[in-house]
Amino acid sequence: MSRFLIRRIFGALIVMFAVATLVFIMLRLVPGDPIAAMLFDAGDPDAVDEIRAKLGLDQPMYVQYVKWLWYALHGDFGRSIYGSRVEVSRLVVEALPRTLSLATLSFIVAIVIAVPAGLIAATRRNSAADFAVTFVAFIGLSMPDFWLAILLIIVFAANLHWLPAIGYVPLAEGFWPWFSHLILPALAVGTAFSAIVARMIRSSMLEVLNTEYMRVARSKGLSERSLVLTHALPNALIPVVTVIGIAFALLMSGTVVVENVFAIKGLGRLLIQGILNRDYPVVQGAILVVSAIFVFSNLLVDLLYSIIDPRIRLQS
Amino acid sequence: MTNKMLDELSLAQRAELEREMGEAHDFDPKDPLFGLSRGDLSGPTMSRRSILRLMAAAGTLTATNMIPLAGGFSDAEAAMGGTLTCGWSGVGQIVTLDPAQINQVVQFQISSNVLSGLMHINRDLVGEGDLAESWEVNGSGTEYLFTLRKGVTFHNGDKFDADDVLFTYNRSKDKTKSIHSRVLNNVKGVEKVNDLQVRFILAKPQASFLTKTLERSSGRAMTIVSRGGLEKLGTAQYGLTPVGTGPFKIVSHELGQGVVMEKFADYYDSARPKLDKVVIKPISDAEPLAAAMESGDIQLIGGNPIAPELIDRFVANPDIVVDEVAAPGFQSVWINPWHEHMKVSDFNKPVSELMKEKGFMVRLAFAKAMDRDRYLKQARFGRGTAAYGTINPAMGFYYDENLANTSNQRFDVKEAQRLMAAAGYPGGKGFPTLRLTTTPSGRREASVVADILKRNLGVKIQVEAKEWSVNVEEFNSMKWDLRRSGSGGDFDPDDAIVDWMQTNSKFNGRKRDKTKMPFGYFSDKEADALITEQSTEADPVKRKALVQKANKITSDKVASIFLFHPANILVHHKRVKFPKQSRIPGLVDLDRVTMS
Repeated sequence: MSRFLIRRIFGALIVMFAVATLVFIMLRLVPGDPIAAMLFDAGDPDAVDEIRAKLGLDQPMYVQYVKWLWYALHGDFGRSIYGSRVEVSRLVVEALPRTLSLATLSFIVAIVIAVPAGLIAATRRNSAADFAVTFVAFIGLSMPDFWLAILLIIVFAANLHWLPAIGYVPLAEGFWPWFSHLILPALAVGTAFSAIVARMIRSSMLEVLNTEYMRVARSKGLSERSLVLTHALPNALIPVVTVIGIAFALLMSGTVVVENVFAIKGLGRLLIQGILNRDYPVVQGAILVVSAIFVFSNLLVDLLYSIIDPRIRLQS
Repeated sequence: MTNKMLDELSLAQRAELEREMGEAHDFDPKDPLFGLSRGDLSGPTMSRRSILRLMAAAGTLTATNMIPLAGGFSDAEAAMGGTLTCGWSGVGQIVTLDPAQINQVVQFQISSNVLSGLMHINRDLVGEGDLAESWEVNGSGTEYLFTLRKGVTFHNGDKFDADDVLFTYNRSKDKTKSIHSRVLNNVKGVEKVNDLQVRFILAKPQASFLTKTLERSSGRAMTIVSRGGLEKLGTAQYGLTPVGTGPFKIVSHELGQGVVMEKFADYYDSARPKLDKVVIKPISDAEPLAAAMESGDIQLIGGNPIAPELIDRFVANPDIVVDEVAAPGFQSVWINPWHEHMKVSDFNKPVSELMKEKGFMVRLAFAKAMDRDRYLKQARFGRGTAAYGTINPAMGFYYDENLANTSNQRFDVKEAQRLMAAAGYPGGKGFPTLRLTTTPSGRREASVVADILKRNLGVKIQVEAKEWSVNVEEFNSMKWDLRRSGSGGDFDPDDAIVDWMQTNSKFNGRKRDKTKMPFGYFSDKEADALITEQSTEADPVKRKALVQKANKITSDKVASIFLFHPANILVHHKRVKFPKQSRIPGLVDLDRVTMS
């Protein structure tokens, strides 16, 4: 187990290094000059050159890369080159709890909807309930999350005045302020996610319910409830966990559109604004964090397999 | 002013209005200073009488200009205290509030509430003393002696004095520390006379010195920063939570989440600010902004111009107040004079001569075919004013209302079609497809431009939306056919014609290949000379004549297709009392705002 872990962590570090290098190169290849954009209003060509030199952007790309990598290895991701030149680590640390809150709540919303819906659809195959779940799942999948987000804002904030329309309040300021600001974005994100998971649970459950050991269990006279929850569901969860793991990583890397709609400065929004401003250090730092989240989410999923299904030997 | 508004005034107030209106027009038209002395035109502030008279002389004084008087009565009755939550429209984050780094209106709208300058413009865009109590100008207009306010303190408790003015000047002229160093190019030096007096020495007289160089909001170069604040916080944190001497102090700023400001109890004017607390939340999308306003989550909208499609919705809401004034800016469609089919390699000819050149015929045809009324209806939902030059109606005194009738660019489809045919492209036949560059958010409006030119001239235009960083690079290097963009925050003629219309203007193709393109998008020696002259002319009346003449040349010679002057629309809940006195176009000064 420990060997497996060490190997996977080593592999994860190589992936992150590759991602960081690729992002560094690609960012500098795309057109757009951050300093010229920042100083457009100032209109002083000399100032553009002086500031470029001050930020080290006039140096050859490989020098910039080695410098950045060296500092990154020491935990220093540099400073934003735009505006007040705030530390990238500070921007990421500020954005991370917001994204984590939104991702976790969206995840809970999705699971709370998806598990019962998937089970009902699988155990009552071809019934009205199955068709209803399938239909709703397709709608959930087809509906753009930003559209649902706006719909939720119009209904629950603008018309009913039940929930705030925008913004984020940290958990430290109280559960209800935190929750009330997050429930609408979590619903917008979680609905589409729940549709995917419900469909996965349904198909996986159908497969398990038709296996031989389930027929044996049924012939032994076990109740339907015990059959489904004790025997079928744990076995059906293995492929679902893979999807859930990747989806959670996706949620953690930022739900850009929904973050924009609800004015929540999470990782996704930080990344997009960094890209639009050609704010190299911000994009590089944020991408590194996102890739770490992805890689380690996958590692977590692998570890979960062994808990759900002890037959899976990690050593192999 | 409408009859309804007049009815709301008392008899005494109406009599006062009539007296002021009569007094404003009571001058000899031949008198170059319209009955005003040099003293009337000097600091600490220009009197209301002077401003109204200058506006009357310019023919721009209407009863609506008298509204501050009416507004003042009800404002005095408003309550103190309370928290105002504002949404900053079209903004993802307030990147910086350090005046040395501020490069957007949305930023200095906030910093204007936190930081002071020596001067601050009023709603008529006339400079008034802010930290400057009074000032004297020498005979040649090259030395300004400022007397500073006594007893002013920074938010951190430090005393404000002449050293802070010098510190700000030295910081701002350093190109590596401030992006506004160019604004101080005409300032040869600043001397401390004593703790409360400083002298600015200029290389040459500068008409916009008070309203541009020393202005606290749009100027930024001499917006006073705190030495102690910068030392303690460092530049990065100072950019988020700057320490100033303004009416509000910043208590927290989370990038992308918002700015929280509280009343500064030791502000030099004890009657201001009225509010206890202001929360500013950046909201980038239009619909959530509208929902937040309608639900009461926010009570006022600042930031970028509100999406035009939302305005009528707000107007229809009885709980929401929509106040519209002219915004200080212009928007254009720029035409690349180095494009083979629109080429004008020398503008230094009389218009009659230029009219014989095919490239100029095409440019003029485009400008004359531009149905600005249609554009305003389709692209701006009817809000804004058709433009024929850079000088905007918010400048009042300098604005030329007649330009719409006298400009070579006035709308005339038949003449435009004749010009295209004369240039060899009847009905647009044989004319190549042009690329119209814009930003992603400007795509819809650019499509309206393309549609109008296709409809009226038969030319095909492909809209290309590019991100700002790419867009700017291409604009600077003149790598475009047509470009839709313009200027905001133009409070002084210099912001418009100096920044945009001179051969060496800062936006005029500064990264172009100079071996192939001797100038950028426009160059005219006569306009250059007039613009230089107006910027050193201290007499506002003479300056006005120079400004308008230069403006007319740029319009007639089609420096760009001038499209519209935007409307500045302030939206707030009816509980928010936003006094007319604070209604400075483009700014959101909250120090006099109250909530009922």
